[in-house]
Amino acid sequence: MEQLWAFGSPATVRQVHEALAASRDIAYTTVMTVLDRLARKGSVEQLRDGRAFRYRPAMSREELTAELMHEALDTVDGSDRTAALLRFVGSVSEDDARALREALEAVERSSS
Amino acid sequence: MTETTPVVLLALALLLTGPVPALLARASWPALAPRAALVLWQAVALAAVLSALGAGASAGTLVMTHPSPSSWLVVLHGVAFLLTLVVTARLLWSAHMLGTALRARRRRQRHVVDLVGRVDGRAPGALVVDVARPLAYCIPGVRSRVVVSAPALDALEADETAAVLAHERAHVRARHDLVLEGFGVLHDAFPRLVRSSVALESAAGLVEMLADDAARRRSGAVPLARALVRMAHAPVPAGALGSAAVTPAMRIRRLAASPSARGSHGVPAWLVAALAYAVAVALVAVPTVAVAVPWLTALSRALGP
Repeated sequence: MEQLWAFGSPATVRQVHEALAASRDIAYTTVMTVLDRLARKGSVEQLRDGRAFRYRPAMSREELTAELMHEALDTVDGSDRTAALLRFVGSVSEDDARALREALEAVERSSS
Repeated sequence: MTETTPVVLLALALLLTGPVPALLARASWPALAPRAALVLWQAVALAAVLSALGAGASAGTLVMTHPSPSSWLVVLHGVAFLLTLVVTARLLWSAHMLGTALRARRRRQRHVVDLVGRVDGRAPGALVVDVARPLAYCIPGVRSRVVVSAPALDALEADETAAVLAHERAHVRARHDLVLEGFGVLHDAFPRLVRSSVALESAAGLVEMLADDAARRRSGAVPLARALVRMAHAPVPAGALGSAAVTPAMRIRRLAASPSARGSHGVPAWLVAALAYAVAVALVAVPTVAVAVPWLTALSRALGP
C-alpha cells in the first residue's frame, strides 16, 4: 500500500488510486480507508489541501527499515528483556568459528 | 492443620526459587529432553508460587482458627499474610505491565514489517526486509509474522532457508512466546535485588532447542546445522536476546546426536523425559495434597458447625 513512497510529493487519494488501479483491481474507497488507517497510526501525514486531503509518508522506507532493524537487534535489559522477539540465533560472542565448524562436521558425519 | 504448615510452605517456596532453579540450570540432561525440561521448569515456578501463596493463606487461617493465639503468633503470621498479598499484587502488576509492553511492541513491529516487508519466492510465508545484516526472527502472536532479511536469504541455500523458516514457524505455532512471557512475569515480579534470570534464560534456551527439533524433523539436521553456522556469523550484538544458556555451537552439537540419544550416564532420552515429567507432576501435586488438604479440612472444620 505504500505506493506513496513512489510519489515524490504529497498525493491525493485519487492519485494513489489511479496508480494502484493500473496494476490491480482496487476500489477507490479501499484506498481511502487504508490511507485513513495509516494516517491514524501515524505512518502517513494528512495535509489539508482545499477540499481534499493530501497524504505523504511520515517516514521514508529507509527510516522505517532502520527502525525495524534497531528494534529487532535492540539490546534490551531488565524488564524489557522479555519484550524481545524470538530470533533464529542469539548471542554468538562465546562461540569461535572453529567450534562452530567442528560441530557442523560432527553433524555431517553422523548424518552421512 | 498444624502450626508448621506455613513454615513448611514458606521453606518450600524459598527452596523452589533459589537452590532448585540454580541446580536445574546447571544440569545437562535438559538438552536431551527439552520439552520435559520445560514442563519441569514450569512446574517448579508454579509450585513456588503456590507454596508462597499457601504459606500466607495458611498462616492467616491458623491465627483465625487458633483458640487462644499468642501475640507473637499473630504478628508472625500477620507478616506472612501480608507477604502473600504483596506477592499476589506484584505478580498481577508484572503480568499486566509485561503483557502491555509486549503487545504494544509487537503490534508496532508487525505494522512496520507489513509496510516495508516484501514477499520473496525463496522464503514462502515470510516477509523479506532489506536490512544490512543477515537476520531471521518471528513476531509471535495471533497474527504472527516470520521475518527474514535479504542478506540472510542470499547467504542461505534453499534447504537451509527452509530449515530457518521451519524453526521460526515452530516458535510461532507452539506459542513459545507465551511460555517465555510466563517466566518473564515471574522474573519481573521479584524485587530487583533478589531476582535471578536463570529460569527465564533456561526456558529461552529450551525453546530454541524445541524449535530446532521441529526444524530438524522437517528439513533434516545438516541443512539446519549449516544454517546455524551461516547465521551465527551475523554480527548480532552480544546478549541481545535469546539465551546465553544455549549458544549456536551447543545447538549444532545437539544436532549431531541422534534423536534417541543417551546422556552422559547412558540413560536413554525417553527415560530422562519420563523422570522429568514425574518430578514435575509430583512438584505440583505433593505440596498441594500434603499441605493444602489438611489446611483446607481444618478450615472447613473451623467454619463448620
